[in-house]
Amino acid sequence: MHISRRTLGKLALGLLGASTLGGTALAQDKPAPFDNPGQVKIALVRYLSTGDFFQAYLSGVEAQAKALGVDLRVLDSRQDAALQADMVDQAIALGVDGIIIQHGLTESMKEAAQRAVDAGIKVVAFDVNVENPAIPQIEQSDRDLARLALEQAIADNGDSWKAGYVYVAGIAPLDRRDETWREFKAKYSGINEAAMFGTMDNPIANSVANQARSVLSANPDITVMFAPYDEFAKGVKIAVDEAGLSADVKIYSADISTSDIAAMREPGSAWMATAATNPAVVGQVSVRALAMLLAGEDPGHNVVVPPTLITQAQLNDNDIKNMEELGAKLPQFAHADVVVPAWMPLPAVK
Amino acid sequence: MASDTTAQAAKPRPVNAMSARDYAIRYGFLALLAGLVIYFGLAADGFASPQSAVFIFQSVAITGILALGVTATLVVGGFDLSIGSVATTAMMASSYVMVVMGGDALMAVAACLAVGVVVGLINGFLIVYMRVPDLLATLGMMFLLVGLQRIPTEGRSIATGMTMPDGSVASGTFSPEFLALGRHRFDLFLPNLLPISVVVLVVLAIVIWFFLEYTRFGRMMYAVGSNERAAQLAGAPVNAYKIWAYVISGVFASIGGILLAARLGRGDIASGNNLLLDSVAAALIGFAVLGAAKPNALGTAVGAVFVGVLLQGLTMMNAPYYTQDFIKGAVLVVALVFTFALSKRGKR
Repeated sequence: MHISRRTLGKLALGLLGASTLGGTALAQDKPAPFDNPGQVKIALVRYLSTGDFFQAYLSGVEAQAKALGVDLRVLDSRQDAALQADMVDQAIALGVDGIIIQHGLTESMKEAAQRAVDAGIKVVAFDVNVENPAIPQIEQSDRDLARLALEQAIADNGDSWKAGYVYVAGIAPLDRRDETWREFKAKYSGINEAAMFGTMDNPIANSVANQARSVLSANPDITVMFAPYDEFAKGVKIAVDEAGLSADVKIYSADISTSDIAAMREPGSAWMATAATNPAVVGQVSVRALAMLLAGEDPGHNVVVPPTLITQAQLNDNDIKNMEELGAKLPQFAHADVVVPAWMPLPAVK
Repeated sequence: MASDTTAQAAKPRPVNAMSARDYAIRYGFLALLAGLVIYFGLAADGFASPQSAVFIFQSVAITGILALGVTATLVVGGFDLSIGSVATTAMMASSYVMVVMGGDALMAVAACLAVGVVVGLINGFLIVYMRVPDLLATLGMMFLLVGLQRIPTEGRSIATGMTMPDGSVASGTFSPEFLALGRHRFDLFLPNLLPISVVVLVVLAIVIWFFLEYTRFGRMMYAVGSNERAAQLAGAPVNAYKIWAYVISGVFASIGGILLAARLGRGDIASGNNLLLDSVAAALIGFAVLGAAKPNALGTAVGAVFVGVLLQGLTMMNAPYYTQDFIKGAVLVVALVFTFALSKRGKR
């Protein structure tokens, strides 16, 4: 059964030229194996799953899998690196055709991913570098996220201000965002980092709020807070509100959720802008990249999902209240034109 | 009152016979606290101000309230690992009542308190009647609640205008009265100085301190904790006292959850593990205050403030978060040394 399908897949590889030639003319004709999508099994092997971001990512994966009509299995290791590697083996044993590895540690996933590739399974990885040329890496560009937010901060405040910066070292996306922050500090000598703080103690917003209050009372002349993670920004906003400084401090962040939208839209909110990649879109892109591989096409080794800048003014002008309205009213947020061959069915926009 | 004799039994030596060592045990920790305050006052700009003082209390209000609750279970010789997740479950419950069900502040608060009472009763039932050891029963409860709080929303955090699993948009909002619990400030000397959470902390600390030290009920809880068998033979309804201790702990944790929800303005998915650890640390540091060498409400409150002073001062001096964890741990170790090594009554 499996063997015949894989042979079919190899056949499809040979027929690739024909299918891409005919692709534009017959957009509805999907290449094998998606002409019979019910037979295609894919697995999502997760390392991180709790939190709005990961929930939204999963919904994107589910939506795109449904649009393709493939059978999706979700294996969730709940931050257990060893278990995640075992789950890849489990997926191999299940006889899946493709695997999406979502987060994890390079050290534990590198060999597991290689085993899957050796078993003839197509693999893509999101936000974990498995150091394998056969495996496309899906990324949200953290450097671009930070750059968009900081460019907006400079557009709003000029290039000379005293800043508070929220950062916890050792978390890959935050480290990448930190690189951009360093570049900006080097480029604009007027940016003066008066304080750096941050914690991952949960509830994160509450813990960061406590810290930010201390920082604000020690440095009352801070005018810009760069908090490149929305939980950080939420905490800073609570502190700014409690200190009665909403009019004097401006907050720039990365990532977004429904509750962030509400916080940004509060009257007189200090939270001016955030740069975000829609996690649901990243989920869709992950499945699409895998589907291209399965159809014998090449999505490229680095698939980058571009971020969108979302300002308080945009949210107010368009009266956006939640993530769905954000997607509907800022189309660049709802859909990324990444890995969309002509035959690819897209999830219906809600 | 019958408590006169027990009160004397708790102070075996007359006060005037204290040696230097006794002074160190009794006042060492308070002296350390005073020293810290003076040091930060000189070293960190803006530390020595009324706003800063109030803020220290505010930053520890939630963990402090949880710590007072866990003190009650420590008093009866038990332990409650579920307080952190009770707090976050209460936070989710209040958000759910208001945002999804469209309830008002009163309903939300009632729902939270009900969560606390029910969890406390179940914990007590498991420990007393099912004979599950306290650590294990409350550990199980902790995991159960971390999962339970996610079920109604399928793992999403709750915020105004959120999309429900079935695709509809939640219509309710956080009621302004409820948010005021986290954000309103009373005037005290200065306008808008004192947040409600601090008032709640102080009131609860005084109530539980009076309850444990001066009521028959509280003294009996200590008796159950120090020698359960003796208390039973003396005719005390030991099981009832133990269950009550867990109910107190659950209710205090849910009050902490209410204040957390009111401050954040949303229902955040969180395990509450850090809340648990910080509040247990505060309660254990409390053992060392005034050389009590036993769980006590006054010590717990001082312990919470101690941690608050330390974290506020260190953050103002730009110390990174890991040094703060390190110092928090060091303080706890020192406090436990005060309690168990220096104090002759430390052998429990």
